[in-house]
Amino acid sequence: MIVTTQKPLDEVLDFISPYTNILIAGCDGCTQPPRGLREAKTLSQLLELGGKLRNKTFVFKTTTVAKQCDNCLAASILKPQIDGVEAVLSLACGIGVQTLAEIFPELPVFPTQNTHFMGAEEREAAILEVRCDGCGDCLLAVTGGICPVARCSKGLLNGACGGSKEGKCELDPERDCAWNLIYERLKKVGKLELLKEFRPPRDYQLSGWRVTT
Amino acid sequence: MASQKDRAQVEEVTDEVSGKVHLSPCQIACPLGEDIQRSHAMIALLPLDPKETASQIIKIGDEIYDKNPLFPICSYICGLCEKQCNYKDQTGAVRRKMLVRLITKHYLPYLEAKPPLPSPTGERVAVIGGGPGGLMCAYTLSKKGYRVAILERSQELGGALRYIPRYRLSKDIVDATLNNLIRIANIEVKLGAKIGDGGKTLDDLQHEGYRVIFIATGTLSPRPLTIEGKLVKEAELEGVIFGLNLLYEVNCGTVPLYLYKGKKVIVVGGGNVAFDVARTARRLGGDVFLVCLECEDKSSKDGIPADIEEIEGATEEGIRIIYSRGVEEIIGEDGKFKKIKCPRCTSVFDEDGRFNPKFNYGDVIYLEGNVLLVTIGQAPELAFFREEGLLNERGRIDIDQLTLMSNRKGGVFIGGDVRRVGFAAEAMRDGVIAAESIDCYLKGADMKAEREKEYESAAIPKVTNYKPQPKIIWAPVEERLNFEPFEEAFTLEEVIEEARRCLYCGPCKSCKACVALELQPEIPKIEFNKYLCITCGNCVFYCPYSAAKLDSSGVVDFDLASCKACGLCVAMCPAMALDLGNGERERISTLLPKLSAEMEPPKILVFRCQWAVFPPSGGELLPNIRFIDVPCVARVDNFHILEAFRQGIDGVLIAACPGEDCHWVRGSRGAQHSIANLSKQLSQIGFQDRLYFCSVTPRHPEELDRELEQFGQKINAIGSKEG
Repeated sequence: MIVTTQKPLDEVLDFISPYTNILIAGCDGCTQPPRGLREAKTLSQLLELGGKLRNKTFVFKTTTVAKQCDNCLAASILKPQIDGVEAVLSLACGIGVQTLAEIFPELPVFPTQNTHFMGAEEREAAILEVRCDGCGDCLLAVTGGICPVARCSKGLLNGACGGSKEGKCELDPERDCAWNLIYERLKKVGKLELLKEFRPPRDYQLSGWRVTT
Repeated sequence: MASQKDRAQVEEVTDEVSGKVHLSPCQIACPLGEDIQRSHAMIALLPLDPKETASQIIKIGDEIYDKNPLFPICSYICGLCEKQCNYKDQTGAVRRKMLVRLITKHYLPYLEAKPPLPSPTGERVAVIGGGPGGLMCAYTLSKKGYRVAILERSQELGGALRYIPRYRLSKDIVDATLNNLIRIANIEVKLGAKIGDGGKTLDDLQHEGYRVIFIATGTLSPRPLTIEGKLVKEAELEGVIFGLNLLYEVNCGTVPLYLYKGKKVIVVGGGNVAFDVARTARRLGGDVFLVCLECEDKSSKDGIPADIEEIEGATEEGIRIIYSRGVEEIIGEDGKFKKIKCPRCTSVFDEDGRFNPKFNYGDVIYLEGNVLLVTIGQAPELAFFREEGLLNERGRIDIDQLTLMSNRKGGVFIGGDVRRVGFAAEAMRDGVIAAESIDCYLKGADMKAEREKEYESAAIPKVTNYKPQPKIIWAPVEERLNFEPFEEAFTLEEVIEEARRCLYCGPCKSCKACVALELQPEIPKIEFNKYLCITCGNCVFYCPYSAAKLDSSGVVDFDLASCKACGLCVAMCPAMALDLGNGERERISTLLPKLSAEMEPPKILVFRCQWAVFPPSGGELLPNIRFIDVPCVARVDNFHILEAFRQGIDGVLIAACPGEDCHWVRGSRGAQHSIANLSKQLSQIGFQDRLYFCSVTPRHPEELDRELEQFGQKINAIGSKEG
């Protein structure tokens, strides 16, 4: 899931203050927490209230798209609703915002979210944590299903640094040491010998900027 | 539209796949099928006004009475529900007995004036035996319009109830309950009736016009001591008595107050009745020893069967228990009891769980005493059944176990202890089963149709912290060695607190207390719009009862047997794909502008949980405050809060139960979390301090008043947005 957090509302209000008719587009895709129809409606209500205090009246339309990053899908849902709209607010991650900007080249498209990382939610604790960096060279098969690229602060490929302390990272004592997790996990599955294999430095080109389907 | 009363009737919730009936474990355990959860909820929601409380308690009593007219008695002697309570393995069962005792206290005086049922005009039915089984059968039949006569051999009704020591169950309660039952249910009673053994036969009764007869003669014959299958000889020694006879005589008042003063009394037996006998003997001044085959460890297969409370109570009272000993020989002197020879019992039950005690005859003790009270169980008196040809080849009563009709004689039904020795409530259940069979039999209907039910016990909801079980206070030993009840009753406040501890595990539809109390018009059903669902799984995560399920195609399914319609999933659904079936979202949406229009600034809207703020404080509505009552704050939708502000409301207050006290387990905490997030966002647009979540102690409306006053001052200070 792509983890996002809501931008401060006054920042969003600043974006839209020159306009009146605004479309708020939720995204039901992979934003986490989900930024669907409810978020779109809630945001419209909040911005309307905020506008009132600034003596500004907005007219909002709210809708949601199954996946905003899919330009065909987004266009087919949003284009029929765009008449009279002066600006678009996207609840999607940065990808969705850019897709909408492509679909509506004439219109200002604003983000309402700050996009953080590809991660997962620990629901009980209401915490979202990074899981994948999109390196293009997946190591999970040999690291016990725990990614050192994304989860080790230093992105080390060959075991823990000297700063691993009681299972925590020296850079942030709240953060689990990824290599400690990998060690414990490999021990559990009886594959500690995997740690003996040396991994050469990462090829950053593999991450790439374009692939063909 | 069904009437409110009809809508409040409990319904059975059957699993579509398994066909099993979902119910809370206590209700499955109750042989009378009392609506336990419903009465607990109603007790928890008793009003504050003493007069209203009294009338509400009578209403609760009436509902219980309908299913179990002997409930005042059960509230002292039963507790089968408590043995199965989901709370039992956490901090201890919900003390239903104590709750019902409070109902009993208010209900008994009312019972004297309770109007009788309509006079029955149907066929005549004879019930032989006026114990719990016979009485329940008579009551159930009378409700169905049959004219019932109870033929009781002794001079009073009650059967085995008359053996229960008065310190556990007072005579007043038995008398009041039974006398009124007879009056209310228009039951004819013939005391001193002689049936069998030279008296009337079943044929005689049928000739008298009773087409159907229910026999519930109980177990009158105490079991004698045996060892290795042979009777232990007692040679008619003076001082060797069956414990049961002692209990009966004490209750009849025919024994002197200090019968056993200065005497050493030995009680043989390890069941609750043996403890009744031992504690009775102790109250008669005796120095009491109790000898039993079983061992002290109740968790062992050979553990003592008596309830732990009995063992603790007896020990406190100075009764000494000698575990793991049998009686091989009773030894007398000059025709009087002298001592017993007790070999060590090495095992009570064999591998197959059959009673088959084994002894070590090399390890023997002798116990001397003046009196030996044998209380090792009872057996039915079968001579009458033999005379009537009701036994099978093996000498057992031959009946259909489902309908309780004799396989030997049509129109004859047999139940209660005589069929299988058990608890009073179990005999009562036999009475109800027989009555239902009899009704079918007399109508020529199929007696077996839809009789067999399988149950699925509701699991315990996940609670963060389980509340401790309240203690029952016993009178100190020196004050309780008499025949007065010694358990201190719970106060009304304690009873309500304890009812609130109940986790209401069972399905809402088989409770409907909130509908009966008009908190909501019906139990809503969660409606799911699959076209809006984004399969995010929020509903699955938030549901405290594991009712929401996603399948492989991602479609959400709600298990209606476990869904309690708290509404948390509805409020948390990011796709707004869920709604409460009775149009709750729409109802509140239309309510908001209406309320706002009639309010004066600064306008304060309060969403209050009906469980937290129950009963709502009366008095006049202030012109600037309006309330929206919800069954749980979990149902308060952010959408409505923001809509309220849009409609010109200046402040929104959410009054919830304290988190650990939430009737819907997670509702209060879930709402608190979501309100906190919304508050944060509101403060970013200049609406700080206008949304406030508070928890108030149930039954303390003054707390909400206080919160409201403070909130009002704050809103006043920051001013009305419209002003």
